[in-house]
Amino acid sequence: MTLATLPSPRDEAWRWADLDSLRTAAQTPQQSTGIDPASLFLDLPGPRLTFIDGAFEPAHSRPGAVQLTRLDMNASHPLGALAQGEGWVLKLDARTATDPVQIVHLATGGENHLPARIDLAEDGVATVIESYAGRGWSNRLLHASLGKGARLMRAVRLLQDQGFVSIRDEASIGEAASYVATFLGAGQSGSRIDGFLRCDGVGAFAEMGGALLTRGEQRQECAVAVHHAAPEGTSRQVWRAVAADASTVSLAARAEVARHAQKTDGEQSLRGLLLKRTSTVNLKPELEIFADDVKCAHGATVGELDRRALFYMQSRGIPEAQAKALLTHAFVADALDRIGDEAVGEAFKADADRWLEAAL
Amino acid sequence: MLQINDLHAEIDGKPILKGLTLTVNAGEVHAIMGPNGAGKSTLGYVLGGRPGYEVTGGSVTFAGQDLLDLAPHERAAAGLFLGFQYPVEIPGVSNVQFLRESLNSQRRARDEAPLSGAEFLKLARAQAATLEMDAEMLKRPVNVGFSGGEKKRNEMVQMGILNPRFAILDETDSGLDIDALRIVGDGINRIMRAPDKAVLLITHYQRLLDYVKPDVVHVLADGRIVKTGGPELALELEREGYAQVAA
Ligand SMILES: Nc1ncnc2c1ncn2[C@@H]1O[C@H](COP(=O)(O)OP(=O)(O)OP(=O)(O)O)[C@@H](O)[C@H]1O
Ligand SMILES: [Mg+2]
Repeated sequence: MTLATLPSPRDEAWRWADLDSLRTAAQTPQQSTGIDPASLFLDLPGPRLTFIDGAFEPAHSRPGAVQLTRLDMNASHPLGALAQGEGWVLKLDARTATDPVQIVHLATGGENHLPARIDLAEDGVATVIESYAGRGWSNRLLHASLGKGARLMRAVRLLQDQGFVSIRDEASIGEAASYVATFLGAGQSGSRIDGFLRCDGVGAFAEMGGALLTRGEQRQECAVAVHHAAPEGTSRQVWRAVAADASTVSLAARAEVARHAQKTDGEQSLRGLLLKRTSTVNLKPELEIFADDVKCAHGATVGELDRRALFYMQSRGIPEAQAKALLTHAFVADALDRIGDEAVGEAFKADADRWLEAAL
Repeated sequence: MLQINDLHAEIDGKPILKGLTLTVNAGEVHAIMGPNGAGKSTLGYVLGGRPGYEVTGGSVTFAGQDLLDLAPHERAAAGLFLGFQYPVEIPGVSNVQFLRESLNSQRRARDEAPLSGAEFLKLARAQAATLEMDAEMLKRPVNVGFSGGEKKRNEMVQMGILNPRFAILDETDSGLDIDALRIVGDGINRIMRAPDKAVLLITHYQRLLDYVKPDVVHVLADGRIVKTGGPELALELEREGYAQVAA
């Protein structure tokens, strides 16, 4: 049991975290979920890995280039540091590419922890798509290292029916390399998405964003940071929060620009949509800039659906729930459109639409 | 087709419509004129069912049904179309998506088969063409970045696609240039001039009425119809102003 080491909500970085539901999730007894892990893979070629309660499940996997091995991770993050031991590694040599790697994490209860590494050598190109389903507390740590010109596209969807998912990404992005991670929270579990991306090489591109959708009394949050340690880097942090019922989404995003990281181009866009007066969206945009020649734009807004637009749509024959779904879909599309692969993007939008159908 | 009887309505507790009575028969075009703030747009919104516009008395019958009993989208499916004085911008939703959802929602409500994407596009392109709207604009988000005149023209493209039985057109002429006014006027005649259809044109100016000839002209002032006449009433109003004519 690792619960004793959890961070304290008195710590500023954890003040919105739903540690109670994390604890409850960790204590739920394991029980069959009735979910077929195969149903969570998208119809794409390439390696497939299934982890059940954090343990590799060969029967539903064809790991391809992905290796399964013991990892001793060096991590100071309070949740990330718990993910040690058996994990997965995707290592690509220079100028190689792989078909999309799909990973399904199915949890049946209790707590499970899984570390991972992605190492892309010069000009390596990889796409990694992860899906979370089931119940319990699933905790993940990813260390990624991108060599010169390497590109990683990462898309993660949280579809657990209950419980909690916590994810920590730590990445070092080399010269002209690009790291793009997009998250969709469209399940009913609590979540905490942590990230620390370092633009270490000149002209590195770092992006972490997504859409978190909550209903009932659910709480989801992200707490992510991009650190520009080298000049001419670009970062994008586009997050959309949609909160229904009495739920809460919290978005905290920070961009740090070191003194010599001149010509940094940073953009941060945090927007929340309240579907009910009883729902909550917390936004915490932060910029910490020590260089003088940078372009950093940021915006943070929380609002409700535009009533005039709703009536306009209804007056054309669209029923109210559908009109709300269309407007909300458009709202989250900004974030999900960042997914480069069209099939993956469509699948994520379909998940968001299913959420909208259930929540509205 | 539409019978409004002693209609009272308020916004935020403030009475705006104060006993409005009006009948429009199938095959007719009625024009409503009246001073700013008289309640013309309010009438349109009340007929459309806009939330916040509370009916406190009277009745509205549309094609034999109690219109006020229907939700806004049901009114549309029953054949009512409201052309907005200020069409609304909807970022992130394309015209095509919006209109296809609109038309297919109406069709489903009437137990008609929805149109496929290809069928719909054909219809939308044809309507855009007759209203001389660039088909590229169909792909753009609804009204976002459209000029005032383009928005009004887009309202008419929507009307052409949805093909309603009854249209309330709220200052569709305002913001249109001279050529656009003719195109829109022709569009209204083409789409709505039929024995089983009717139009309520809200306007301040005679110029639209040169193209769309009204059968009946009303003056709406302070929440009531205060005068009703033939097409000559509009000319008289233009010459002499509301204060004289409606006094
Ligand atoms: N939300 C509101 N709260 C209070 N009063 C309102 C509200 N909306 C409209 N009104 C008032 O209702 C009255 C009627 O407005 P309406 O828009 O129907 O006028 P109109 O006849 O269409 O005028 P115009 O010719 O300028 O378009 C006006 O006095 C207006 O100020
Ligand atoms: Mg008006």
